[in-house]
This record gives sequence, C-alpha cells and structure tokens, in this order.
Amino acid sequence: MRSLEEAYSSGGHGAWSARRRTELVDRAVRELAEGLEGRVAVVALGGYGRGELTPGSDVDLMLLHEGDGELEEAASRLFYPFWDAGISLGHSVRTVAECEKLVGDLDVATSLLDARLVAGDGSVLEALTEGLLARMGLGRRAFLASIAESVEARRERLGSCAWLLEPDLKASGGGAWDVAAVGWMLKGLRVEDAVRAGLLRAREVEGLDEAREFLIRLRSALHLETGRRGDRLLLEHQPALAEAFGFGPEPGMTPADVLMRSLFEHARSVEHILRLLLDRAARWLEGAEEEEEAGPGSPEEVLDQLALAAERERLPPPATLDRLERTVPEGATWTPAMREAFVRLLAAPGAVEALEAMDRGGILVRLLPEWAAVRCRPQRDPYHRFTVDLHLIHTAAGAAALLRGGAEDPMTAEAVFSIRDREALLLGALLHDIGKRGEGPHVPAGVRVLDPILERLGVAPETADRVRFLVGEHLLLSDTATRRDLTDENLVLDVAGRVLDGERLASLFLLTVADAEATGPHAATPWRRTLVRDLVGKVQRALDRPDEQPDELATIAERLERTAALLAGEHPDAVGAYVDRLPRPYVLAVPPETAARHFRLLEPPPAAGEIRTDVLEGERPGVHDLAVAAADRRGLLADIAGALALQGLTILSARAFTSADGIALDLFAVQGVFDPEITEERWRRFRGDLRRALEGRVSLERRVEEKRRHYPPPAPVEPEVRVEDRVSEFSTVVEVSAGDRLGLLFDLSLAFRDLGLTVHVAKVATYGPRVVDVFYVRDLEGRKVGERAEDIREAVLARLG
Amino acid sequence: MKLVTAIIKPHKLDEVKDALREIGVEGMTATEAQGFGRQRGHTEIYRGAEYQVDFVPKVKIEIVTEDARAPEVVETIERSARTGKIGDGKIFVTEAEQVVRIRTGERGPDAL
Repeated sequence: MRSLEEAYSSGGHGAWSARRRTELVDRAVRELAEGLEGRVAVVALGGYGRGELTPGSDVDLMLLHEGDGELEEAASRLFYPFWDAGISLGHSVRTVAECEKLVGDLDVATSLLDARLVAGDGSVLEALTEGLLARMGLGRRAFLASIAESVEARRERLGSCAWLLEPDLKASGGGAWDVAAVGWMLKGLRVEDAVRAGLLRAREVEGLDEAREFLIRLRSALHLETGRRGDRLLLEHQPALAEAFGFGPEPGMTPADVLMRSLFEHARSVEHILRLLLDRAARWLEGAEEEEEAGPGSPEEVLDQLALAAERERLPPPATLDRLERTVPEGATWTPAMREAFVRLLAAPGAVEALEAMDRGGILVRLLPEWAAVRCRPQRDPYHRFTVDLHLIHTAAGAAALLRGGAEDPMTAEAVFSIRDREALLLGALLHDIGKRGEGPHVPAGVRVLDPILERLGVAPETADRVRFLVGEHLLLSDTATRRDLTDENLVLDVAGRVLDGERLASLFLLTVADAEATGPHAATPWRRTLVRDLVGKVQRALDRPDEQPDELATIAERLERTAALLAGEHPDAVGAYVDRLPRPYVLAVPPETAARHFRLLEPPPAAGEIRTDVLEGERPGVHDLAVAAADRRGLLADIAGALALQGLTILSARAFTSADGIALDLFAVQGVFDPEITEERWRRFRGDLRRALEGRVSLERRVEEKRRHYPPPAPVEPEVRVEDRVSEFSTVVEVSAGDRLGLLFDLSLAFRDLGLTVHVAKVATYGPRVVDVFYVRDLEGRKVGERAEDIREAVLARLG
Repeated sequence: MKLVTAIIKPHKLDEVKDALREIGVEGMTATEAQGFGRQRGHTEIYRGAEYQVDFVPKVKIEIVTEDARAPEVVETIERSARTGKIGDGKIFVTEAEQVVRIRTGERGPDAL
C-alpha cells in the first residue's frame, strides 16, 4: 500500500487509486479469512464498502454470521494483523438478526446499503440485504425523509463545503457523505438507472462523478499531507494541497483560493443535485407524473416560471430547469419582460433557491457574464462567511426580506416606507460587490463593470443612477459610522452631500443592513447597527434642514476642490488638512476664492492667544470685509465685536464659524460710523485692543460703554428672542431681533459668554433700524442647550437692557 | 504588573493604537463594547421612527504592562483618546497578578 501512496504525487490519488487501495485491502482480508468455515461472511462497510478507501480512511469490517458458531478466534485472526500493521480498523461481529434489529438506525442502515462481500459465505449477506431492502420498501417515504433530515442536520451543524473556508470534506454539506447519500437513496429505493427513472439528468450524474473524483483526490491528498485521517480542510493545509493539485494563481486569487473555488464548485453541484433528487424522489414516490414539457419555451416564459416558483417558495421543477438551460443561449439578450420577471424573482421569498438554480444551470453567468469573476470566489477575512457570489445572493434576498416588511426595528421599517424604486435597491444589493474580481479595489472596479450590465438589462436611467450610487457608496455608512467622529458636523454634512436625498439614504441604509447580515455574525453586531443608525438619523436631519438645501450640500465637495485647486502652490498636505477642517457652513457661505485667500489664517493653526486678520475692500464703498482667526475660547466673539466697537466700526453683517479642532474663523462686513475711511493705523489699534482684551489686560465692557455716549441711541425696536432646538443637529439656535446700536453684537456675545455657551455659527444681518442675529450655540462640552431656553432668553433680554 | 483597561470612542481606536505603538506597546486587546456613563443613552430619531439607545457604542482596549510603564501607557491613551467632548471615556488601572504565555509556559513579565 505504501508503494501505491508513493506512486503518485499526493494530488494524484483519485477514484482509481482508492479502488486500487480497496483491492489491496480486499486481498489481505481474503488471505486472512482463508480457512474461515461455516455460514460466515466477511463484509466491507462504509467507504471501504463503496470502494473509496482514502489513505487515512478507516477499514470498516464486519463478520456477519447466523449465530451458530464460535467466532472469537476467527475474529482475532482477521482483525489483529490490521492493528499490528497500524491500520485503523472499524470492526464488528454481528448476527443477521442483530443487524436487522439495528436497521431502524439510519447510520446502520446506510452503512449496510454500502455493504460488500469480501470473503466467506455470500448467502449470509444476501439474506440480510434482501431483508433490509424489503424492510425499506415498506417505509420508503420514511427512509427518504430520514435521509433528507440527516443531510439537513449535518449541514446545520457542520456548514457546507460550498462556502466554508475550513470545511469537513466528509461530513459538511456537499462533501463525501452527501455524494454517498445519493447512492444510499437510489439503492434504498431500488432504482437501478436513475436517469431512466427520471430522477437524475445525465449531466447531473456526470457532475456527481466529477465531484466524487475531486473529493476523493482532495481527501487523499489531505490525509497524505497531514499523515492523519481527519477530513477537516484547515487553512494551513490549503497552500500545499493547491500545489499538489497543480493550481496556479489567478488575478486577485492565490493558488489556495483557486483550489477552494474548485471545491466550492463541486460541493455546490453536489448539494444542488442532492436537493433536486430528494425533491424529485418524494414526488416519484407519490406517483406524481412529471409535468409535460411544453415545448422549448422562450427565455421570458422560463424566467417567469422561475419567478413564480420563487414567489411560491418552491424549487423550480426539473423540466423548467432543463428548458431554462436550453432556452437561454450564451450571450442571451434581455428583454423588458425578462428584466421584469428577474426583478420579481429577486423580490420573492424563494429568491435564494431560484438564483442558486439559475447558477447551477449556468444561466446566471450566461445572462450576466460579469458574474463569472465573482462565482465561488473565496473571501479570506474575519468577517465574510460566504463566497462573493453567495454573499451577493444573500444580500439581495436580505434586502428583499426587508422590503417585504420583515424588519422589527422601527427605523428599518421607516426606511422601507421611503423606498419607491425597489428595483434599484434589489439590483444594487445583487451587484454591490460585483467589483470583487481581482482588479484592484472593489468599489471602483464594481462601478466600472456596472454600466454594461445596466445597459444590457435595459434598466431605466433614473433606476440605473440609483444602482450606480448604491454600488459606489455601499461602504459609506458602515465605514463612516465605525471609524469617524459622528459628532463632527463636517462629516455629517459631507455624507449628506454625497447622499443628497431621503430615498437614496433609506436605500443605502437598507443595503447596509442586508450587506452586514449576509456577511456574517461579526459584521452584523448590535454595536455596528447602533452606530450606523446614529449616522443615518443625523444625515436625514441634515437633509431636512431648511437652511442648507440638498442641492447646496452637493456643491460642498466641488467648492472644496476648487479651493484646493486655487492653492496649487502650497504644500498638498497642508491644503488637504485645510479643506478637511473648514467648517462646511463656511464653505457654503463664501466663494472658493475667499476660502483660498483665508488659507494663511488657518494654516498652520493659530496658537493660543494668536490673532490673524485679513482685510479686503468690500464691494460697496466704505465697507470692508474683515476675517479674524484665533483659537476659539469662551467670549472670543465678544472680544472681537468689542474691539471693533472701540474703533467706531459698525458691523453690517457677521458670520462666525468654528472648526471641529477648535479654531474660530469670523467674517465681518464693517463700516466706519463717523469716519468712513479705515486706515491701516485704525486696524492696528483694533488688533492691539483685541490682543489686550484676550490677554485680560483691558476691560472692553467699560470702554465700549464710554464710547457709546458719543453715538446715537439704539433704534426704538422692541427686542425679541427665540430659542430653537430642532433646527440643527448639533447646536441650539438663538434668534435675536433688536434695534441697531454700536456694540450690539458685543452685548449679545457677552450674554452667551456669561451663560457658558460657545458660538459656533453666527449670522448678523441689518434691515434698516432692525438687526436680526442668529446664533448657533453649544455648551462647553459641545452639547445642545435647548432645556435652558428660558435662562437664555432672560440673559439676552437683560443684556439688551 | 498592571492591567490597563480603557473605554474609548470607536473612532479614536486607530489613533490610540498608533500612539501606543509609538511608545513601544506591543500588544493589546480591543473589543466592541456598549455602556453608559454621564453621557447616558439617547433617543434616535429618524423621520417618524424613534429608537431608544440605552447603551452607547464604545471600544474597550486592554493592555497588560509592567508596573513602571503603566503611567506612560495611561497618559498616552488619555492624550490620544481625548476630544474634549462628553463621552471620551475612562481608563481603569488594576493589579494583574499573573501573566502566562500559553505557547511557551513563560510567566510574569517575560510573558508580556
């Protein structure tokens, strides 16, 4: 036997070699059994009985007798030499009557179905098997049901060789035992020719033979590689086995990946054929006639039938599969009716089975040639449990389940409610990872192959746009939610600017949920879901905001790009950091030219106590545009407003912004009250006052009070204060309307300083004698302060005197 | 030896990891965690739907270090995990009585 093992490379031991190994063992058994007398049979069971001995397999031997002789000595003569030779032996000594009692146990029954006489009296075995088959003949339905049950139970417990990265080649779904189960079923039902009986199609028999050969080769190679009989194909063995099989690398796949793809393909066809066989055999036993084949049919009709089967959660009947394979040629063109049927299929509860049937029949690849690159492609990361194509199928089915209203979580249900274009979501889910084809990063690759697909399917332009968006952005929510700071307003506005409308957000959210569920238990944790929900809620509120319309948000990216382009002469890293930090409301408030001009104010960031200013002649004569940047601190806006008042400068408009890293950038349009000319000397004095105020060396309050005496009294306007907590996600909005006067902004910002609030955005506009100021404020820990609305109103009104 | 356990904001994990690597911390355990402190839970609102979030998602990191290095580890986490806003998290330092490297059976600081 050793010479047999050495005769081939470890990858070369297929069915022939297993048969040869079986013959060698048979010969040894016969020699040892010589002289055996009486009505005793030496019977090979299990894999040995089937003639499929792999290098590590147990040799299962049974001495079957009729209970009338002393067998102890014969047994030891037969069994001991195997133990001495170190061959692992499964052994038993039974009477026919004992065996008959045990037949109720499925494992015993199936192992007896594989029973083969090696030596001794054949009539003993015949007596048993005759009886056995008769017994089964009585309960053929029960037998079939228990086979189906055990196949399902194994798959449940041990997963499947069709997608597990470390499957059990014997016991996992699609493995050696599933192949054997086909044989048990046919033997148990006493079917001589499965094809003639209409239980298997010729190509299915071929597929099973190929899978059996592959599995025996792989198990043999594994046993030789490990020197043990275990059938679990661990990651560490895969590279050596791939080499033994002669697999080479392919784009984005190692030889081990190519090996696994082959295994997945074979196991997949085994599982599929087994499932079809169980289904057909059950109907065969009912005596149901296979439905008449109604001609070849058109691809439309066939897809329609598949969709119907999926809607009724039934496996497509074999005749449909045959017709499907015949009627959909290579490079088939899609018609609107086909697309409509396909989308119905995707939306149906039986979508997974229908898509798998299409896949096994080769139809999916014929209709979507791009599918070939993702088919059976292994994913080696801690998150994914499925191959790429299975993951896609499960994501689409998951999205369909959400659309059918399966979600318990009220947010998901609300998102479903917002979806009008279901086709876009289903196609987006089915195609979101279509770029995992070994051509670099999968998102751009997916977008690249998407257009020909959508065109072939004849998808309407608006739907195609949505599908493109879903595929291109399918990682946006989960990546952003788990890796970025969700309290950063810039981030939320940037995401809103990419999503643009509520329906697209809802469908991206549903895709994210379905994608995580189809990935595996590590991706679909409550932890991740909470973060994603948090982000979705914030983005939806940003989209709902009245002051920043979605189409405006969409221009943020573009404006930032133009700003960066204008700064081409600066260091790219500094420019990158600058555009990242710019508060998005600022980006929307100023043209890119101004943003580029302010680069020097923020980059590098001003140190504590440092003030940077920039002055530009405004469009109207006498009006100057002033920009001030400084590290933000409580009362900064008050100090700036106060220093302006001291120079007799009135504020026509003001906008204050604070970046996430705490740099304030305040823009003012100012005008001299008595003396319209603002000399450099006056700006210098302004900066001096501001610096001294920041250093606490001067009380602006007292000096502004003095200054006011020389100025006109405030216009007689009744002040009004409104506090709004729902307008903004991140800040409480305080709107103040009051009569204009010197230092008004100073007074208001003092009120906020004393309340312990920071001003994130301020907008000051003057309408004749009335000034309307809007402030976005937060407390010192960055929270909204809606519950203090009354305090705020009172403090502001008190300041207005 | 000390066990340093820190609860931080999820998006700070990479920064903390890099900062610890820079001071030569070789290994750590990171776990998705959920909890609440002063930050409490909150209600998520999405269109018409409300969702009560009782536990806020955080990341828990654990590092076992020699006694002498513990203050540096703590300070590094503190610096790199801080945003200044509510919910930045906490750091706990406890005594670690014994460390065993399972593969070799080494014990104590050698196993770190």
